Amino acid sequence: MTNLKKIYVTLALASLASFNTAHAQEIIKLGISAPMSGAAAVWGLGMEWTAKQAAEKINLEGGVTVGGKKYNFAVVAYDNKYTAAEGTKVAQNLINRDKVKFIVGGIGTAPISALQSLSERSGVMIFISAWGKSVKGPQFPLTFTQSNTPFEILDPLYKYVLAQNPKAKTVAILNANDASGKEVELVAQKAWAALGVKVLSSNWYERGTTQFQPVAAKLTEQKPDIIDLGVAPPADAGIVLKELGVLGWKGVKVLPVGTSATQLAQIGGAAANGTYMGYAGDYSSSLATPVQQILNQGMLAQFKEPLNPLQVSSYDSVYALKAAMEASNSIDPKKIAAILPTMVFETSYGKTVFGSKAIYDSPQQMQVPVMITQVQDGKMVELTRIIPEELKARLAAAK
Amino acid sequence: MEIFGQLFLNSLQISAAYILFSLGLTLIFGVMKVVNFAHGEFFGLVLLLIAVLVPWLNNPSVPLAVAYGAAGAVSILATMACGWFLYHFAFKKFQRDMVGSFVLSVGLSLLIQGLFLEFFGGVPIKLPDLIEGNLRILGGAITTQRLVLTLIALLVAVTMCWLIAATKLGKSLRAVAEDHEAAMLQGIPYRKTALYGFLIATFLAAIAGALLAPVTVISANVGSDFLIKGFIAIVIGGLGSIPGSIIGSILIAVIESVGGYYFDPSLATLAMFVITMLVLLVRPKGIMGNG
Repeated sequence: MTNLKKIYVTLALASLASFNTAHAQEIIKLGISAPMSGAAAVWGLGMEWTAKQAAEKINLEGGVTVGGKKYNFAVVAYDNKYTAAEGTKVAQNLINRDKVKFIVGGIGTAPISALQSLSERSGVMIFISAWGKSVKGPQFPLTFTQSNTPFEILDPLYKYVLAQNPKAKTVAILNANDASGKEVELVAQKAWAALGVKVLSSNWYERGTTQFQPVAAKLTEQKPDIIDLGVAPPADAGIVLKELGVLGWKGVKVLPVGTSATQLAQIGGAAANGTYMGYAGDYSSSLATPVQQILNQGMLAQFKEPLNPLQVSSYDSVYALKAAMEASNSIDPKKIAAILPTMVFETSYGKTVFGSKAIYDSPQQMQVPVMITQVQDGKMVELTRIIPEELKARLAAAK
Repeated sequence: MEIFGQLFLNSLQISAAYILFSLGLTLIFGVMKVVNFAHGEFFGLVLLLIAVLVPWLNNPSVPLAVAYGAAGAVSILATMACGWFLYHFAFKKFQRDMVGSFVLSVGLSLLIQGLFLEFFGGVPIKLPDLIEGNLRILGGAITTQRLVLTLIALLVAVTMCWLIAATKLGKSLRAVAEDHEAAMLQGIPYRKTALYGFLIATFLAAIAGALLAPVTVISANVGSDFLIKGFIAIVIGGLGSIPGSIIGSILIAVIESVGGYYFDPSLATLAMFVITMLVLLVRPKGIMGNG
């Protein structure tokens, strides 16, 4: 190499380094605290993947513009193992070590409660998918939920199931023995009772359980017409369904947190057929937007699992955050959190808003459709899609 | 009557899994006085390797049973090699050192779990059933596959008991477990016996993993899920005692099955810990513990 060439190469490397340094100063880190191992791993891994897709897309389109300055997003994700103990570690890592000011995805009421205890007093804004009602309200002004929870799902799901199975009069409920399970169980009991269905038994299992035969035997004890598997993730629910099949139970199966048929059918086999799910959607059909169809294809290629509402929620929170940053012209989480409930913004579903003040005393719930699906011949079939009334009214008013 | 049959079958299949797992744990403790928290990782390694190899091997020209057999054999051998490596470069230096071996095995467990997550990912995997169909026995229902695997597991446990009770190697293992210095004075090579004990324990974890591969959901932390129950079993039965680990495993399987049915699956788990505490209070060495 000649001396002139060496100078050119040195200059090129130096300018590349300075370019990178300049950009490194304008990066906004977006955190994720979700299970990335164990029975619920596919939820967390998918959530991380969609958040990265949103961040990359926004960065390619020029980033976020605030006060005339351009910012790029970078996603930092940690495995909270669905436990409060790991959730605490993740919170410390994200907030104290990585200095993250925005968390765009969180799963699990217990780990999220641990995260929230630090995020609210550290001025960190969080978007979560935890199912507990206790994580929302005016006392948590920096917390937002970007996917449906039992308060949005259970009532329409149970009504639909009963309309399809009018002879069903009794139900046995199973939930994980943790914060998510405890909160959902209360809502489920009330919702079934309100519809005239008698709750025969409400049962609990520990996350990490490996032998589900006793659980299945207990569930079928009083011969219920319906078995509601509550917050059991697909891997656990699949084994329970398989064991129910071995025992010869042939009732109505409901999995409110059922996010896809793939894992459920892979594990539960034929016993998974007929299961009603409240947390899945057919993102390959014409009902889905083009963005969701592309994300769905990416998920299938990456994880061999179709996209589900839980995973797509972090994509939506990244876009909600971008919109609120630009609308408030600030990267201060408090200013962004203040403007967010007042605005209409774009998500993978199209335009939406934050609302549900009547339920949570504060408009912190993203308004997205409730999709009721069923496992048929090992595949998921979308039965109906319900648009929230509040969303319809707010969008009409905005027009 | 039907429900008693079902509870019996549930207890039988659960206890078979726990017996295989806890036998290895108790053997390592007996021979080396090492509480091996990384034992679950040997079990997990076999499952994860089988989860990779079975879909790779299984195609129209290779029947599923052959794929399982080949994958099981390769995975068990790989796990044994891993056990030999860990014994030579780690556990050998911490024999009869409870604190040192505790720190070592917990550290190794975390490290190996991290490596599993990195190499195998966190998504749970369920392999196809090896044997289709259900059976009704004593009014209860069980899958044919579970019944066959349970019988094989019990056969392995019986063979293990025979090996310990009636062979020269078994006598050496028992002698070392009872008093390693006296055993050495009698001409028993302690280090070699300890290595054999460690490898047999690794083999038991590996065979447990291979047998449970078609019926369990496989993930990077599957070993630690079984480890807790395995520890409860050997603490109740008596650390280092082979019959104790079998009794402990049967006891927790019955609590899980019967307690889970008559009370609540979650309460049954709680009951296991309460019984462990009671056993430790009344008989600190466990039911069959001595020394």
